[in-house]
Amino acid sequence: MNSNHLSAWEQEEYVLDQRTPQMLRHLTECAECRAAVAQLEHGLGVYRKAAVQWSAESLATRPQQFITARRQPILSLRWAMAAVIPIVLVLIALLPFRASNPRPAQPVAQISDDARDDALLDQVDAQISAAVPSSMESLTHLVSTSNGTAAKGSKQIVQNN
Amino acid sequence: MEALEQLNYPGELSPLRDRMIAELEDVNTLCVTYRSRIYRYALLSLKDPDLAETVTQDCFLKAFKARNEFRGDCSIATWLTRIATNLIRDCTRSRKFQFWKTAGSTALEAGDIADRLRSPGISPEASLVVREELVKVWDAVDALPDKQRSVFVLRFVEEMELPEIAIAMGLHVGTIKSHLHRGLAAVRKAMEKKR
Repeated sequence: MNSNHLSAWEQEEYVLDQRTPQMLRHLTECAECRAAVAQLEHGLGVYRKAAVQWSAESLATRPQQFITARRQPILSLRWAMAAVIPIVLVLIALLPFRASNPRPAQPVAQISDDARDDALLDQVDAQISAAVPSSMESLTHLVSTSNGTAAKGSKQIVQNN
Repeated sequence: MEALEQLNYPGELSPLRDRMIAELEDVNTLCVTYRSRIYRYALLSLKDPDLAETVTQDCFLKAFKARNEFRGDCSIATWLTRIATNLIRDCTRSRKFQFWKTAGSTALEAGDIADRLRSPGISPEASLVVREELVKVWDAVDALPDKQRSVFVLRFVEEMELPEIAIAMGLHVGTIKSHLHRGLAAVRKAMEKKR
């Protein structure tokens, strides 16, 4: 039996990849130390496998939704600001110019409308101020067919009235 | 720092750093590449899936915000692990976390983990042996102090090199080695005890 086994520290050094040629030589010769190191490495391997598996299962239940979701509103806000700011600046620049400008002349169409309105009002005035309403005007021509004196007489009557 | 010197590439540092910063700019690819790794580290450190998710999200957000401060003197994975380590430390120091840790409501038992472990192609007897072994190791690692456990996870789960762990934890390589020896001793003791 080999009494000069690897110490616990040396076995740990081996597991941590801090290997010396003496260690490697001893492990090729000593089955007991080889088994001890293999046991430790196996335990660490099982731990790693379980940790990776647990983490992967846990992560699979969680959707990947961050960063992009947080960045999107900021980006859209920037685009909105980029669109709105030039418009606001143009409006501000135009405001004094607009205030100092005189009111433009009325268009031709509006003038013709006014003239038409005036003509209509004149017509209404003429009808209202007429001696006989237009609906009764035909009565003034009741006698008119053969002799003109009768018609004259009737006209005189009307005028006297 | 010794660890930093080992990871520096003086002649190629600038183009390498530029490439790394370009990688950090693409936050979606960054998440896809490193999310599972950071989440696993946070989960094994905190034992709480919700907290681990929060830490993972904060880690990527912090990395994206601080991408211009990345000096390129270590890999992106190491840099992200360092950010995650700080977030985990902040988390474990909070009173709320201390309360829930004491209550133990969110922590998973080693037996539950072992029951879920799939070992296809081995006999039920061998599976039982593996299960018992896992419970011993799992409990031993759980019982380690926070910092020792983090170092242990980074070495034996994430398989990081000692200088990388030193950068990620902000410790010297000697201290990392010391933590690992203590962790391994605890695991070995647990495995021998009930054999």
